[in-house]
Amino acid sequence: MEQTTIEQKTFACQLCGLSSPFTYYGQKPPNTRAIVLLEECFVTQDPFSPDKEKFLVLGSTCSLCSMCVCVGSDCSLFYTKRFCMQCVNKHLDQFPHQIQAELAKKKHSSKAAVS
Amino acid sequence: MDSDRRRDSRSWDWDSPQCRAQVDEIFFRRHDYIQAGSTEHKEFWTFFDRFQRFKIKKDVSESGAKEDIEDRRKTGTGKVDLGLPKEYDARYRINVSVCTRDVEERLGKSEHRGRQRSSGPGSHEISDCRLTLLHFLDFSQRQSFGKLAKLRREQKSLPIFQYRDRIVELVRLNPVVVVAGDTGCGKSTQVPQYLLSAGFNHIACTQPRRIACISLAKRVSFESLNQYGSKVGYQIRFETTRTPSTKLLFLTEGLLLRQIQQDKTLSQYQVLIVDEVHERHLHCDFLLGVLRSLLADHPDLRLILMSATINIKLFSDYFNSAPVLQVPGRLFPIQVIYQPIPPDEQASRLEKLDPRPYLRVLQGIDQRYPPEERGDLLLFLSGVAEISTIQEACQVYATHTRRWIVLPLHSTLSLVQQDKVFDTSPPGVRKCIISTNIAETSVTIDGVRFVVDSGKVKEMSFDPKAKMQRLQEFWISRASSEQRKGRAGRTGPGVCYRLYAESDYDAFAPYPVPEIHRVALDSLILQMKSMCLGDPLSFVFIDPPPTASIQTAVTYLKEQGALDSRAELTSIGTLLAQLPVDVVIGKMLVLGSLFNLVDPVLTVAAALSVQSPFLRSSQHNPDCATARQPLQSNHGDPFTLLNTFNAWVEVKGERGGGSRKWCRRRGLEEQRLYEMVNLRRQFKDLLRSHGLLESQSSAPSGGDRGQRRERLTERKKLHQLKRDHEKQESSRRKVLRLDEGQDGEFSSGSDAEGAGRGKKDKEGAGQNMDIQEVKFKLRHNVSELQEAASVSQDMSSRQQALLKLLLCRGLFPQLALPDEHNSTRKDSDQVFHTRNKQGVVIHPTSVFASDPEVLQVPEDATREMGPERRDSTRHQLLAFVTLLETNKPYLSNCVRVPALQALLLVANSVDSNADCTRLVVDGWLELELREPDEALKVLSTALTLRAEWERLLLAQLGQSTMAGAEVQRVSRKVLEKLSEGLVRFLLYTEITYSLRRLTAFQTQNLYIGPQSQSEPSHTKDVNPLFPGVEAKPDPIKGGLRVSGFFNYNCLVDSKDLYSECLRSFWTCPNCDLYMPLTPLERMQHEASCRPAGEQQQPEEEPEGGKAASSSMSSLTRVYHCDVCNEDLTLTSTEILKHKRQHMYSAK
Repeated sequence: MEQTTIEQKTFACQLCGLSSPFTYYGQKPPNTRAIVLLEECFVTQDPFSPDKEKFLVLGSTCSLCSMCVCVGSDCSLFYTKRFCMQCVNKHLDQFPHQIQAELAKKKHSSKAAVS
Repeated sequence: MDSDRRRDSRSWDWDSPQCRAQVDEIFFRRHDYIQAGSTEHKEFWTFFDRFQRFKIKKDVSESGAKEDIEDRRKTGTGKVDLGLPKEYDARYRINVSVCTRDVEERLGKSEHRGRQRSSGPGSHEISDCRLTLLHFLDFSQRQSFGKLAKLRREQKSLPIFQYRDRIVELVRLNPVVVVAGDTGCGKSTQVPQYLLSAGFNHIACTQPRRIACISLAKRVSFESLNQYGSKVGYQIRFETTRTPSTKLLFLTEGLLLRQIQQDKTLSQYQVLIVDEVHERHLHCDFLLGVLRSLLADHPDLRLILMSATINIKLFSDYFNSAPVLQVPGRLFPIQVIYQPIPPDEQASRLEKLDPRPYLRVLQGIDQRYPPEERGDLLLFLSGVAEISTIQEACQVYATHTRRWIVLPLHSTLSLVQQDKVFDTSPPGVRKCIISTNIAETSVTIDGVRFVVDSGKVKEMSFDPKAKMQRLQEFWISRASSEQRKGRAGRTGPGVCYRLYAESDYDAFAPYPVPEIHRVALDSLILQMKSMCLGDPLSFVFIDPPPTASIQTAVTYLKEQGALDSRAELTSIGTLLAQLPVDVVIGKMLVLGSLFNLVDPVLTVAAALSVQSPFLRSSQHNPDCATARQPLQSNHGDPFTLLNTFNAWVEVKGERGGGSRKWCRRRGLEEQRLYEMVNLRRQFKDLLRSHGLLESQSSAPSGGDRGQRRERLTERKKLHQLKRDHEKQESSRRKVLRLDEGQDGEFSSGSDAEGAGRGKKDKEGAGQNMDIQEVKFKLRHNVSELQEAASVSQDMSSRQQALLKLLLCRGLFPQLALPDEHNSTRKDSDQVFHTRNKQGVVIHPTSVFASDPEVLQVPEDATREMGPERRDSTRHQLLAFVTLLETNKPYLSNCVRVPALQALLLVANSVDSNADCTRLVVDGWLELELREPDEALKVLSTALTLRAEWERLLLAQLGQSTMAGAEVQRVSRKVLEKLSEGLVRFLLYTEITYSLRRLTAFQTQNLYIGPQSQSEPSHTKDVNPLFPGVEAKPDPIKGGLRVSGFFNYNCLVDSKDLYSECLRSFWTCPNCDLYMPLTPLERMQHEASCRPAGEQQQPEEEPEGGKAASSSMSSLTRVYHCDVCNEDLTLTSTEILKHKRQHMYSAK
């Protein structure tokens, strides 16, 4: 069934501006059975799957600053909790070195792409 | 059990299907998020294998790095403690968890009790699997989110994105908004979405092309995250994805016009977007005109015109200075190089194109750009012949250098060949696509970096004087030139080579000539009439067509019987306006519905409305020619098409998908046959909904419940196949072979086509059913079609004759006369003449081009009557569908008909001399009949037949207007008698006559003209017995108008003027009358005298009479009768009648 149009709620990332309607907010999206989310998420039906029961997590709130961020790797990072990229950079030292290295590498390559 | 025991003995093995199945029992049960057997489930196990391999590799490499972490940890403790775990684990980066504790426990318990305790996954295996599942879920989340992010990024990067709010605001505030933006700005995909998300519902967006409707609907539904829903849909002639929940609909301009015809207010839409208005198609120009007047009454309706940045002011001004929003396009820089063709390489009109200028461009590219730098070449030429010339030359070069794949692109190619231009070339090789202007707007090919523009285009124009379409070569306009150039800069910077001088460019017209100025307006005018838009001459078009063009169309529609003398719609005209086909085709349908010939007529009408299924390229292939042979009919091309369609249906019924091969062997494009069968179905529905066809009596023919269920399951399966096909469609592009273009396609394309497609067939033979076949089966009932096909296959020669007559009447006045000297000419030099155009030839694809003898009057059947006259009983005419001038004026889709018989039954005007031995038909054909007696007989038979035919047709049409009410059908018996009569007239009229075309000089002095003193002797004895029509003197030609089409004795004749008064003895074959009669008297007696035992139906008489007299009221005048001493308003014939009445009463 199509969703009936009750004023669609829209999720928008406060960092990159990505926006998309969402259908569920919480840790247990419908029809997920054994699956539980480890954070409260903005969830929508996966638009790229023909299966109507597949969900897609759009984003959630940063566990430190409560900013609404998307799950894109430029905007946030999940490591036991959700951190927005601003908070990650602020507390970079507390993250394991694997993550630090990864971020450094990414920064480097994106800079290279720009120049 | 056995297998269980065997499994027992083994230890846990991830590669064993049994072990995997056991894990499936825990994680992928029937109601789980991922279910065993689903695609995701398969993907999971693939992922599992990869993940395990990855883990092993990683474990090895990371074993040494662990202590390091502990050291660094200390530095972080100054500020807020995030409470992160001490040891890094990739698991912590996943925000999902899977709880299967309950299942595991249950399984554990059951296995405790069971005998096979040692089997089954241990906790280690379970946690391994769970971890992989988490990573898999995370992976698929990332994948989908990545797609979404990419989509949003792309949307944002479109030039139009920053105007998003402005557009929505403009639409809110203004009834009409013009959005102008060049290629690549994103207007077609984005504007509808902006409006959707701004809360507008019921949006319709028109496109000039069907293909665009489908592809836009697909793209926009994907972008609006609704690719599996029906919020965004399309509707084209045969297909729709529209549902009640559809909010945005892409449809063709023609279809929206039809919807307006049905619902004048167009209340189903809130917003209308008319896209590509700058292309100025006939339908689009008209649609704008209609919407303009519609808006006045509907202030809530919103209209958005979208256009390239061409002539924007024109559109804005037309809609009361509507606001314009101009959006820059997104084109990469394109270098323009003018390379005019040197004079010695310029082809004269008749020569082939010189390929040297084109080859130089290919060479230049090879020299200047390394093969690693990708980028294809798009070459614009004017027509198919030009394409094959250049293709041939380029192919030689390509074979030599092995750096090019040469591909033609034009609309008469098979679809498979057309599709090749989208495939990619192998590395180091460029595609060289040689195209008509189809690639200018209709087809967009990515990856083009170089454009070669010949500056020429072949465009259709209409010559109203010759009633002929003309395909002529012109210089393109500056706008087209820019459009062609733009094709080089869609995906990166490009180069455009113009094979003309910059001064030529400056001299080009700014815009192309709009279609409304170039084509016949018959259908347009008819549609305008049916939409009650008033006088077409005063309709406010955005760019009014020439008055002459409108007038020609009105005249033509009158000739066709669609409009009456006051240019109002006739009842047949009303019906024709509803049919989305040419007037001539529509007429055939209506005529066919009267007789018991619906099935063949439906097929022929459909076949004549689509492109020919016979591929041109296969024409010279001897195998195809042989295979086609049994399909050909020397009665004419429509009969060949009919045979072909019927044979195809036969094959489909017997072999289903095997029809593809069948078509290939005969050089047929099966797609066209699918189009035919769809169109045929649509025609049938139309006739039914207009009450011209009995609604299906056999409603649930599906037999018992079991059969019905079977059919239902089959349909389900077919639907699934269709969906599957749609899913995978996008990922279908393949890599071209280097020898792709050179399989000799330019010389005898069918071989190459056969080979290429054969390969595809084999690939898809098993499960991959032909999607067209699937759609066909979903849409049509094959056995029903087969039945219809076999009906028309077994047509008797009588039915065939009748069908011919119907086609001829439908096609009238499109008739051609064979030149009298054809028998002395070569087959290829046969010449014909139409009323308005002399010296036309038959198109080489026609059956008459290969078999012209059947058109010639057999020698033994002729009698030379002096130098200028050949008498015969066997003269024939051609009725044709199109007259198109390319390098020569060609007739296509012809049917041959017996000349005199057909003319007397379908012509608009037949004029005779006094003894009816000389007839002039429609002012251009002269027939001289040898025997006055026979002449009279044949004429009066024709008069009677036509009157009856007309009466029944009107009755049938009258019925259709009262559809639903209890109306009497035209009785079958009466119809059978008529068709019997018509057939007998056509087949068995043996009369010797000569047939020739009148010269211009002869037509000048054809008629005696109005007689100053209306001789009462003419009319005195007239007994107006022709139903519905009263004989009266013709005010222009002179003579006596006996029926709607027959004008007696108006020809200036060398013979004596008194023969009309000469009476000769004659015996009526029906009654016992034997007396001296004038020719006219005799005809009139024959018209009224029916064989004994067959009375005229008196109840029908007054109706016709009344209608006729009312329509003739304008011809009445005031007459003072001395006897009655009264002023009477009567027609001249009525006056005579009145006088006679007194005479009789006096006696």
